[in-house]
Parts: sequence; structure tokens; C-alpha cells
Amino acid sequence: MNDTHPVDEEPGIHKPPFFKRWAGMYWLVLGNLAFLIILFYIITKIYQ
Amino acid sequence: MRPLDWIVLLGTLGFIVSYGVWKTRGSKDIEGYLKGDNSMKWWTIGLSIMATQASAITFLSTPGQAYEDGMRFVQFYFGLPIAMVIISITVIPIFYRLNVYTAYEFLENRFDLKTRSLAAFLFLVQRGLAAGITIYAPAIILSTMLGWSLTVTNLIIGVLVIIYTMSGGTKAVSVTQKQQMAVMMGGMIIAGVMVVSYLPANVGLGDAVAVAGKMGKMNVVDFSFDWNDRYNFWSGMTGGLFLALSYFGTDQSQVARYLGGKSIGESRLGLLFNGLLKIPMQFLILFIGVMVFVFYQFNPPPVFFNEAAKSKVYATVHAEELRGLETKYNDIFEQKQEAMQGLVTALKTEDETAITAAQAEVNSHTAAGKEVREQVKSVIKKAVPDAETRDTDYVFISFIMKYLPAGLVGLLLAVIFSAAMSSTASELNALASTTVVDIYKRSVKQDGNPTHYLNASRLFTLAWGLIAILFATYASLLDNLIQAVNIIGSIFYGTILGIFLVAFYFKRIKGNAVFFAALLAEVIVLYCHYFTDIAFLWFNVIGCIAVIVFGFILQGLIGKKKKELVA
Repeated sequence: MNDTHPVDEEPGIHKPPFFKRWAGMYWLVLGNLAFLIILFYIITKIYQ
Repeated sequence: MRPLDWIVLLGTLGFIVSYGVWKTRGSKDIEGYLKGDNSMKWWTIGLSIMATQASAITFLSTPGQAYEDGMRFVQFYFGLPIAMVIISITVIPIFYRLNVYTAYEFLENRFDLKTRSLAAFLFLVQRGLAAGITIYAPAIILSTMLGWSLTVTNLIIGVLVIIYTMSGGTKAVSVTQKQQMAVMMGGMIIAGVMVVSYLPANVGLGDAVAVAGKMGKMNVVDFSFDWNDRYNFWSGMTGGLFLALSYFGTDQSQVARYLGGKSIGESRLGLLFNGLLKIPMQFLILFIGVMVFVFYQFNPPPVFFNEAAKSKVYATVHAEELRGLETKYNDIFEQKQEAMQGLVTALKTEDETAITAAQAEVNSHTAAGKEVREQVKSVIKKAVPDAETRDTDYVFISFIMKYLPAGLVGLLLAVIFSAAMSSTASELNALASTTVVDIYKRSVKQDGNPTHYLNASRLFTLAWGLIAILFATYASLLDNLIQAVNIIGSIFYGTILGIFLVAFYFKRIKGNAVFFAALLAEVIVLYCHYFTDIAFLWFNVIGCIAVIVFGFILQGLIGKKKKELVA
């Protein structure tokens, strides 16, 4: 760290937020993808 | 451009550049300059990754693409979240364990120096050319629309980026990208709200979406499989995944963004943040393009969105022909208005018979308008043979310049400049770090002190910045340049990805085998380019698979030879 700014002493995170394991975060991202695809499919069908 | 637009534009850009320089002043060593002292939090990394990928062309072309082709381009990003998860699980832990500055450094650890240098060289050639285009592509559109000199526009983008990237390195790139993302998303949301507010009083947001749907623009997902269809669910899930893996996993302009994380967890979260938000962001930009399309169903659109190209035709003997076509186009628009109002009324009453009838009438007028547009393009080509007849890149900027009020035009131009600067900054930073770490420090001067390498990094940032500006300035001399650069990228990308896939997943294959496999793969890709008609996007797949297959074959042969020698 340079000498012109206060040093950020807060340690970086190691555990994911909301979940006990990283697998939970991965499933959240994949679940979000599945949700968006279903939502987009419904939008396509409704407005076709 | 009105005075308020200039104040907003210059104020926004001036603030971002000054903030970047001030916030990161005083870097003392290469660790701070190239990895930001590993101090980046996950939201900085996530925004920085998104800002790097979102170039000015994203904000200029994507709404135009939706105007022309509807929402289906969003499917291209379906593979991205999966790639983010794969990289978080497999790539990030390896890079962190080895404490690398660049992705290519890992290749020496896994294979040998020559493989590392080969991958770094391929990246420098490809990304060096791309940096010029990242500046040139928006500059040519902005200079055409605003009447500015192309050289001056190139210089504005290039010099501003060089100032803060040279001064603060990776950290300056990341902290300015946070501000740039705020400007980009804020500006786009305001533009979206303005488009909807400009719709006729009897057309609300729901009606606008329904009209867009009836005119074939709400085609978000298509599950049918077709090799010739560039954007469908299957090409997005396979091709999109493939491209995202190579871009985020092996391209230093992205790898540098998450290598500066405070911890492995921060880097992972930054990537996953991108995996969660990238598709909604692209959806929003495309949706704004669709709303611009609906706006032009009720307001007369120009027959050709690139006004500068039209002006050139007016100065030729084809001027009258063009004027005649413009009158015809405007007449078709007037006739279409009754059908449009009929469609809106039918949609409100949910009368299926009336909807079908109105839809048929609107479609017939739209087809007639399209035919006139094609004739206009032929006239432009005839009158000005070197003119670009594809005007979708000009749809959004044309709308901004003509309809947005004072101040917002400046803000939207700041969005485009911010996007150009954020991508270019990441590219220059990645080019400088790869040149210093993988070439200069490793093979040219190994005994320098930290200050020497810091100064070298700054000088290489400046040098790559000047090369990019120079390339952008003379880019117009080359024909079809953007496609040329895409072809060059595809020629190298597949081989680089192949080397990394072997490194990560095929432990049996060693340095010599992968090095010669990469050379052979490159020869095959070059053969395909010069002697076959294979579309250049396939070079990525061919190069990648060739490295893996040749790697296995050569490793088998080398292993056999060794056994014979031992025996």
C-alpha cells in the first residue's frame, strides 16, 4: 500500500455471504441463470 | 452540442480522470502498480470486470441491434454465468496459489518458459490491435455524428486513458471503472425512461412492449436449433460458454481485474457478481433499443440514420434520387400511423381478430419502408462507393442527438466516452503488465530493482497507449478493419485457450508437447484462414481442439521415445 492513503486493514472475505459453502453461491448464479431463461421464455411466449 | 452538454461531458470525464489519478497516487512498486496491492473488494472487482467488457460499441451498437433484430442477442450471454462458476472453482485457486501477476506466468510454472512466452506473444499481438479498435470504433461514430475531427476524438479518448492508467496502474483502472459503470448505467436508465416518456399519450410501457412483441422484437429466447442462426439458446449455451471461458480465464485484460482481489473470496465474489448481473444488464440495453424502435413507430425515423453519409450523397448527382426516396419513405410512415393506432386500440381491447388485421397492415407498411431503405442504401453505395451502408450503429446516437434535452446529451456522450475509456484502460494495463512481467522482466532484464520495473511498467503503458492511438488514427485506411481485427483475434484465441485448457485439465501433457502442439494448431488455423472458406468464428474451436489433440499425440510420442531410451 502506498504512503499517501490510510491503509485498509479490513481482511478480505474468505467465506461467501448468505451461504456456509461456496457451492451455495455457485448454485445461486446457476439458479439465477435458469430463472432468467424461464422468465425470458415466458416473455417471448406472452408477447409473440 | 449546447453549453450544458459540454459542462456535463467535460465535468464527468474530468472528475473521473482526476479521481483516478488522485486516489492511486504514489505507487512505489510493481506489486502495487500491477496488482493494486491486492486491496480490491469484490464489488470493485465485479464492476471493473463488467466495465472492461462493456466497450463503447456495447452502448452504441446493442440498442441499434435490438432496433433491427429484437431482443434475441441476449442469448449470446447465456454461457457466461456458467463460465464464471467454472473459473471461480478451477482457475482462481491456481492463480492465487502461484501468486502470479499475469495468466501467462502460470504457464511457465505448469510447462516451461517457451510456452509462456508464446502465449504472451500471441496475446500482445491480438490485444494490441484490439486496443486501437476500442478507441477507433466509437471515435468514427462520434466524429461522424458530432462533426469532430477523427484524430481529435481518438486523441481525447487515448490521452485521458493514458493519464490515469500510467499514473495509477491496475488500481486506477479499477477505481475509475466504478465511477464509469455508475455513469454508464445511470445514463442508460435515464435514456430508457426518456424514450418511454416520449411515446404518445395513449401508449404506456405495457402497450409499447405489446406493440414490440407484435412486430417481432420481443424474441428473447429461441430453443430451435439451427447451425446458420447466430443467436439462439444452443449457440449461447455452447459458443457463449466457450468464448466467456477464454475471455475471462485467459485474457490478461480480465484476469488482471480479479488478480487484484484482497482475497480469493473477493475475487470469486467479483466474478460471480458479473455472472449474476451481466445478462440483466444486456437485457436492459437491448430493451432500450426496442423502446427506441417503438418510439420510431409513432415518430418519423430518418430513412438512413447516418446523416453524414446522406449529406455526402446530397453533394452528388444522386441527390434528387435520394430526396425522392425520402419523400416516399415519409409517405409510407404517414400511411402507417392509422394502422399503428389501430394496433394499439386492438391490443387494449384484446380483440384477437382486430389485432391480427392491424398487425398485417402494420407489417405491410413496415415491409414497404424496408424496401425503400434498401433502395436508399443502393443509392448511397452508388453515389459514395466507400460509404458504410450499415447504419444500426447510428440508431441510438442519432436518437440521443435529436431528441434528448440539454444536459442529457452530454451525459449520454459521457456514457460512450466512459465505456471507451474503461475498456481501453484495462487493455493498456494488461498489455503493459504482460510486456513487463512475461517478456521484459523474465527474458530481457532480470536484475532490476522494484523502481526500475515500476518505471518500465509506466513507460510500456505509455508506449502501448501511443500505439493504440496511432493505430486508431490510421485505421480508416484499411478496408473492413473491425472484421479484420476479429479475424486476427480468432486466429490466436483458440490456440491460447487450448494451451490453458491443457494446463488446467490435462495433467499428462507436458511443456514440449503443448508448445509444438500450439505451433501446429496455429499452422492449421492459418491454413483454414488462407485456403478454406470456413467462417472465422470456427477458428477458435479448431485452434483449441487442435492444441489438445496434438498435445496428446505428441506427448504419447515423446513418452514412447523416452521409454525406448531408458530401455
